Amino acid sequence: MSLLSALARGAEIPVFPAIGTQGLALVESLRSRPGIRLVDTPRHARVLLVAGELDSQHLRSLERLHAQLPAPRGTVWWQASPLFSHGPRVPDDDPLAAIRQAAQADEPVLRPDLPPHPWQGIGPHGQGGKGMMGGTPYGRPMAMTADDIRDGLALDAYTACFGPFLPMLPPGLVLELTLQGDVIVSAQMASPPFEQGPPGDAPNLCAARMLRLMGIDIGIDIDIGSPRARSRGALLALPAGSGMRRRLAKWLRGDHVTEDPAPVSEALPGLEWTEAVLWLASFAPARLRAVCTKEAVT
Amino acid sequence: MILAAFSLLVALPALIWAAAVFDRVGTGRGATVLGPLCNGAALMLRPNTSTEAPDALNRLLAPGWYLALALIGLSVVPLAPGIVASELSTGLVLWGACEALTVVVVFLHGWSPNSPLPLIGAYRYVAIGLPAMLLSMFVLIAAALPAQSLSVVEVVEAQRGLWNVIRQPLGLPLFMGLGLAVTLRGPLDYADGAELAGGTSAEESGPALALWQFARLAMLVAFSAMAASVFLGGYLGPGLPGPVWLLVKTVAVMAATVAAGRWFARTPPARMLTFLWVILLPLSFANLALVGLEVLP
Repeated sequence: MSLLSALARGAEIPVFPAIGTQGLALVESLRSRPGIRLVDTPRHARVLLVAGELDSQHLRSLERLHAQLPAPRGTVWWQASPLFSHGPRVPDDDPLAAIRQAAQADEPVLRPDLPPHPWQGIGPHGQGGKGMMGGTPYGRPMAMTADDIRDGLALDAYTACFGPFLPMLPPGLVLELTLQGDVIVSAQMASPPFEQGPPGDAPNLCAARMLRLMGIDIGIDIDIGSPRARSRGALLALPAGSGMRRRLAKWLRGDHVTEDPAPVSEALPGLEWTEAVLWLASFAPARLRAVCTKEAVT
Repeated sequence: MILAAFSLLVALPALIWAAAVFDRVGTGRGATVLGPLCNGAALMLRPNTSTEAPDALNRLLAPGWYLALALIGLSVVPLAPGIVASELSTGLVLWGACEALTVVVVFLHGWSPNSPLPLIGAYRYVAIGLPAMLLSMFVLIAAALPAQSLSVVEVVEAQRGLWNVIRQPLGLPLFMGLGLAVTLRGPLDYADGAELAGGTSAEESGPALALWQFARLAMLVAFSAMAASVFLGGYLGPGLPGPVWLLVKTVAVMAATVAAGRWFARTPPARMLTFLWVILLPLSFANLALVGLEVLP
């Protein structure tokens, strides 16, 4: 055990970023920093890094996220006002020292380990559905067989909220999706993405985010304008006719993407998870936010 | 047999370390050599996580099964003339079974935490894994034809005149596609990708995650040793002892697989399915037909 401990002292600190307002460019600038590793899921993280301001309506989501980190866990508030009393606050540009400090912390779970609603016991199996499927046990809808929207077969449809801190979605975006396998059957916009300002729309940052979703992690130091990303098949990998190739090509040339997306409730149904995620990432955050905000109002 | 099994068990940790080092080369993260060991140690000291209503037994066993499949697959690779852990006349079939069961194990890994993103990773991997394994079967049958045997030992010996990589130029590139799929890498990583926040591994932490990553690297070693034996002549080569040649070729295939995994973009799964069924599988048929014509008396 002592050998493991000695080796572990030289390890990178795995950090899960919860990105708030104006936090996207901040977090991207951290990706190449030695000593830490940004991870895609809170389960792999030791430290929760809240980057950018969040208002108090996100407290519950953040507490749930916090509870997903295995113990011991620590929190850092980077250019963010703390929503709970644990973890250091970092007002300046460099959170590394605070992350190291948080990596020694052992914060308690902030939410009780309970289902969101009590068990109600409706119907023969108690969950209120049909047979052993469907219903809303503990207040959460369970999968229920429904017609497949593509080929007329019947498949289990599952409804859940995704966001606001899922790393593959624009920060702040909350979608209520009904999925059959990885195909989106219906999509409702529950909350628009956070504002990221002009740094969030920078072509190198947008291209790097999209490439990372395709398994190419070359960071924001990507040599915009070089044919490297093209030679990796990044453009060919995207579905033709979706506009995604055109938008990624623009970013790779160093140009801004100024197209507006269609409302997500119309554009996402019928797409597979990966296509939907890439489609959302293929618009400038400011443009997507504007359309989603309008959609949320209507 | 005992000597071969012992040699494999001694060499495997070092090769897995080498594979992890390859994964860090060029990432600009520093600590290329010691970094994987330190990160692995830190992961071992973190706790496993619990989820709501998991399939606990399969969640516990999936990483172990994956590692076991890598070890069983590796056991049919001959280290030198007459030195092989499992001297089977059907070694290629055993390797094929390990490939096919990898699909099952990855599915169980995604199914067992009872969580949506891992489950999507699991389903997607099965869809992609099936044509990838089929492709590998045709490629391996083509490699077995000149040897007139399904024994890996015989396939290596049949390359004394000419390596299969030259005799069947399509074989190794197609087999590399299978390698990316069974080791969950880059363009064929439909199980654990970033667009699913880690996919089948999204809910894992601590020793369970460490073992899964260790098993992935062990599978990379097993695949590389198999590719080196079936297409690059295995232990055959001038001057150096056979095991050294096998080691050199295995490390070269490992490096190439890691590089290919990092280089190429991953398409949405529907496009990859079309590519596999419509382009790569017919290419593997063509490869088999050409080899069949070549070995006609």
